[in-house]
Amino acid sequence: MSEGYPGPRPAGVIHDIGYRRYTGPRESNATIAASLYLTGLRHAFGIGRSGRSKVLPIVLGAFALLPAVILIGVLAVTGINKPLVSYAGYTNQIQVLISIFAAAQAPVLFSRDLRSRSIVLYLARPLSPAPLALVRWASLTTACVLFMLVPQLVLLAGGLIADLDVSHELSQFVRSLPLTLLLATMLAGITGLIASYALRRGFAVVGSILALVVLNTGVSIVQAIADETGSPRVGELAGLFSPWSLVNGLASELDAGVRVITPPDGAAMVALYLIVAVAIVGGTLALLVARFRKAGR
Amino acid sequence: MTADTSQSASVTAAPVIRTAGLTMDYGRVVALHDLTVEIDAGVTGLVGANGAGKSTLIKILLGLQTPTSGTAQVLGHDIATADDEIRRVIGYMPEHDCLPPDVNASEFVVHLARMSGLPAAAARERAADILRLVGLDEERYRLLGGYSTGMKQRAKLAQALVHDPALVFLDEPTNGLDPASRLEMLSLVRRIGSDFGIPVLVTSHLLGELEKISDHVVILDGGHLLRSSATSQFLDATGSLLVEVLGGAAERDLLGNALAAAGLSCRPRGQLVTIDPPPDGLDVHRLVRDTVADLELALVRIQADQGHLEDVFTQGAHHV
Repeated sequence: MSEGYPGPRPAGVIHDIGYRRYTGPRESNATIAASLYLTGLRHAFGIGRSGRSKVLPIVLGAFALLPAVILIGVLAVTGINKPLVSYAGYTNQIQVLISIFAAAQAPVLFSRDLRSRSIVLYLARPLSPAPLALVRWASLTTACVLFMLVPQLVLLAGGLIADLDVSHELSQFVRSLPLTLLLATMLAGITGLIASYALRRGFAVVGSILALVVLNTGVSIVQAIADETGSPRVGELAGLFSPWSLVNGLASELDAGVRVITPPDGAAMVALYLIVAVAIVGGTLALLVARFRKAGR
Repeated sequence: MTADTSQSASVTAAPVIRTAGLTMDYGRVVALHDLTVEIDAGVTGLVGANGAGKSTLIKILLGLQTPTSGTAQVLGHDIATADDEIRRVIGYMPEHDCLPPDVNASEFVVHLARMSGLPAAAARERAADILRLVGLDEERYRLLGGYSTGMKQRAKLAQALVHDPALVFLDEPTNGLDPASRLEMLSLVRRIGSDFGIPVLVTSHLLGELEKISDHVVILDGGHLLRSSATSQFLDATGSLLVEVLGGAAERDLLGNALAAAGLSCRPRGQLVTIDPPPDGLDVHRLVRDTVADLELALVRIQADQGHLEDVFTQGAHHV
C-alpha cells in the first residue's frame, strides 16, 4: 500500500515463540450475533472504518437534521404554536436523503464480504447463512431507523420546548413510529438485496437509487395523472410499487400527517398496502438468506 | 521430520474425523465417491490433483455443503446435526483469496475471533499473539489489500488459528508462495500439528511437500480414495538399490549390462542404475563393488532406494 516503508524490507519471518491455548469462556451464538449486529451498525455510520467512509453518513445526517433545526428555530422565533410539519411528513420530505443513505450504506454491509469472499470465513464459523443474513439486515434496518428517527426526535423535543400541544405531538409521533419501522425494514431489505447481487458499490448505489427514488417519482407521476383523469384506483394501485408510496398511503390511513394524492380507499386497499409491504420485507429477506447460503458453496 | 510422528499421533485414541460412504454428486460430476476414511490427530495430508474432491470434502466436514449420501463425524460431532458445534471448534483456511482489502490484519483477525465466540479482550490478545506467530507482527496495522501473496496466506492462517481451534483445515496453504515462503509455511503447518498440538488436515496438489510434514496421508483421485496410510509407509525403503558411477550414459549402461549378466534385475534411472530387490543370500554390495572394479569404473555411491508419494500414482490403487 501507500504506507511508504523506507528502503527495501526483508521478507517477514515466522518467529519462534510459544503457542498458548485458550481455555477461557466462549460465547453463545446469540452473543456472537449481537456482536456482529453492533459492528454492522457502527460500520453503517462509518464508525470503526476509514475516515473517508464517515464523510457520507455525516453529510447526509447533517442535511437530514438541518430542516428540523430550522423549523424549530422558526417556531421559537415567531412564537407560532401550531406544528409546521408532521413527523411522518418530515420523513417523507427528506426521502431522497434517506434513500441515498440506505443505498450508499447497504454495500458496506452486504457487498464487502461477498465481493472479497470473506463471507467464507464467516460461514466457517458458528453462525449459519440465515442468521448471518438476518443480522446484517437488522444492522441496516436499525441504521435506517436511527437516520429517520433522530430528526423526528429533534422535532418532537423542539416542539415541546416551543409549547406545542403535548398530547397532539405525542400522538402524531407515536403514529409515525410503526411507519418508520416498516419503511426501514423495506429499505434495508431492498437495498441489501441489490447490494448483495450487484457487489460493486457503484452498481449497488445506482440500482438502489433507481429502485427507491426514481421508481417513487414514477409512482407519484402516475398518481397525479390518475387523480387528474378521475381514476384514483389506478393511482392507488400504482402506490403498491414503491416502499415510499406504500408507507405514505398507510400514513394517510393512520392520519399521521402525510398528504397523498390518491390515498388507499377502503379497508381492502389498505390491507393490500400492508400485505404488499410485509411481502416486500419477507421476500427480500428470503432472497438475502438464499444469497448468503449460495456464497458458502 | 518423521521422527516425532508417533508421539503426536498417539495423543487421542478416537479418530478426529471419520467418514462413512460419503458421496457428493453435483449432477454433472461426482466430487466424492463412497469415501470411507478415518483421520487421527497429528498432521494429515489430503492429496490429490485439482478437482480430486479435496475442497468438497472440507466443505462437507464444515457443514457448508450437504453430502448426497453418507455420514461423517468431526471431533465426535455429526455433520448433519451439530454443524455449528463443529464450526465453533474448527479453524478453516480457504484456498482462494478471502480477505477484504480495506481493513488491517489486526482488526480483521480480532473481528473473526469475535465471530468464533471469543470475548472482546481475549480476541484482541489472541489476535496479537497469532499474528506474531505467523510472522505478521510488523505488518499487522497495514491494510490487507496491500499484502503480498505470502502475507495474505499468513493472515488467512492467523484467522484460522485465532480462536484456538481443536482442529484446523488448511486448504492449499502453500498456493502461490515462493520457495522460501513455501518452506516456512510448511514448517509452520508442521508445528501446528506437533508443537501446538492441534490436529491438522492440510491439502495440497503437490505430493512432495506433504511427505515432509505429515504423519498420515490420504490420497484422493477423482473423488475416490486411492490410499490412506501413515506417511512412513510411503517412504519405507523399497529394498531396491541405487548405484551411481562417474561418467555418462555409456558408463551407466556398461555397469547395468554387467550387473544384468551377473543375474541381477536392473534398469537405468537418470544417471543411476536401479537394482531391484535381489534374491536372498546374494551380497549385492559386494557384487556391485567387484563388477565396478572389473569394469574399471569409478563408483560414486550405492544407496537404498526410498519410496515417494508419487509412487502411489504410478503403482495404482492396489494398496487400499
